[in-house]
Amino acid sequence: MDSATGYLTTTVDAVVNWARSNSLMPMPMGLACCAIEMMAFGGPKYDVGRFGSEAMRFSPRQADLMIVAGWCSYKMAHAIRRVWDQMADPKWCIAMGACASSGGMHRCYGVVQGIDNFMPVDVYIPGCPPRPEAVIHALMDIQEKIRNEYSVTNDYSSGSPHAELAQPESARLTADGRDLSLNGSGLVHA
Amino acid sequence: MPESLKFHFTPVDEAHADEKNVHEKASTDVADTIDILKKEFPDGISDVVVYAGEYTVFVTRDSLVEICTALKETLGFSYLVDLAGVDRFTEDAPRYEVYYCFVNIHAKKRIRLKVSLDEDDPVLPSITRLFKAADWNERECYDMLGIQFEGHPDLRRMYMPEDFEFHPQRKEFPLLGIPGSLPLPPRTPEGGLTMDPFAAARQGSPVKSYQEPESEF
Ligand code: SF4
Repeated sequence: MDSATGYLTTTVDAVVNWARSNSLMPMPMGLACCAIEMMAFGGPKYDVGRFGSEAMRFSPRQADLMIVAGWCSYKMAHAIRRVWDQMADPKWCIAMGACASSGGMHRCYGVVQGIDNFMPVDVYIPGCPPRPEAVIHALMDIQEKIRNEYSVTNDYSSGSPHAELAQPESARLTADGRDLSLNGSGLVHA
Repeated sequence: MPESLKFHFTPVDEAHADEKNVHEKASTDVADTIDILKKEFPDGISDVVVYAGEYTVFVTRDSLVEICTALKETLGFSYLVDLAGVDRFTEDAPRYEVYYCFVNIHAKKRIRLKVSLDEDDPVLPSITRLFKAADWNERECYDMLGIQFEGHPDLRRMYMPEDFEFHPQRKEFPLLGIPGSLPLPPRTPEGGLTMDPFAAARQGSPVKSYQEPESEF
């Protein structure tokens, strides 16, 4: 049986994806004016609780969706990337607004021309700023994306980047005691 | 059209040269203060320009601190509102200007000082000892235009990363920046985390490569 499309994995996928997509915890990376609209998105009027995402997590360890709202300077890029790297897998990212998607009107030396220059982005939202409905739409797109993922095979198949971790310790430690499956900073990357 | 919305004052327009600026405020009329300054510092003041009822006093670099001291201590201008640099980018006049705006809160008066600086020698004495508020403004001016303030307690860059090599508000600096002068985090996850751009603030030295030091654990 093909493990990627087998009955058991797809059924478990359906359950896992249903759970994941309906309880996305956003990490609000509010950098500029767009963050104001992101607050409206989280507030009672637009009630994103209908989609299970009303609980903003201010710790990257507890979040699985980063909303980058606003223009990002070169100096801030390092901090954003640091927060992103600390988020546990699986994780998704929304680039909210013209600035986060492409630099927008800030076409100048200090602003990164699109956050996809240094981190992966799943959904881009156009607009300056986008209305909260647009952010909800982006969230629904992410949910759609999650529902179509092969979560079980992605997470646990032998092709996974985490497969090295399943090896016995003797196979992954170097002579001087460093762990080959971890990068220089001691974090596991997907 | 309501009177307040009419455009009354154009300095280059000969026909209206002696028309009064209706938006003129009594607070900018500091002729008596300038008379006192002129009497006290005959060599310190190179020029006084009046435009739209506002006075700009050009002072020389050597007497800047003395004039600021007099303004603060005897003339009551105890509030530094703004301090910034200008790049004129001309060949015939000194290239840079630094201006200082002071307010006398009790007398409700405002005065503006300007210092012209040569391109080859953009050095000024710092006035942070007189006005604490000058601290960050002077740092900004240093960051953006590369003007050195002698005697500043902590002349680091204000906005750009500390190992940045250029001064972005100089006119020759391209608007989109110089490619590669500002490092981004690596594009791949295997690239590792990136450096703290504020290293010098924590007594470290900024590393040009932006490479994370190896973990000790
Ligand atoms: S897209 Fe518009 S609203 Fe959003 S951060 Fe940029 S300038 Fe501000």
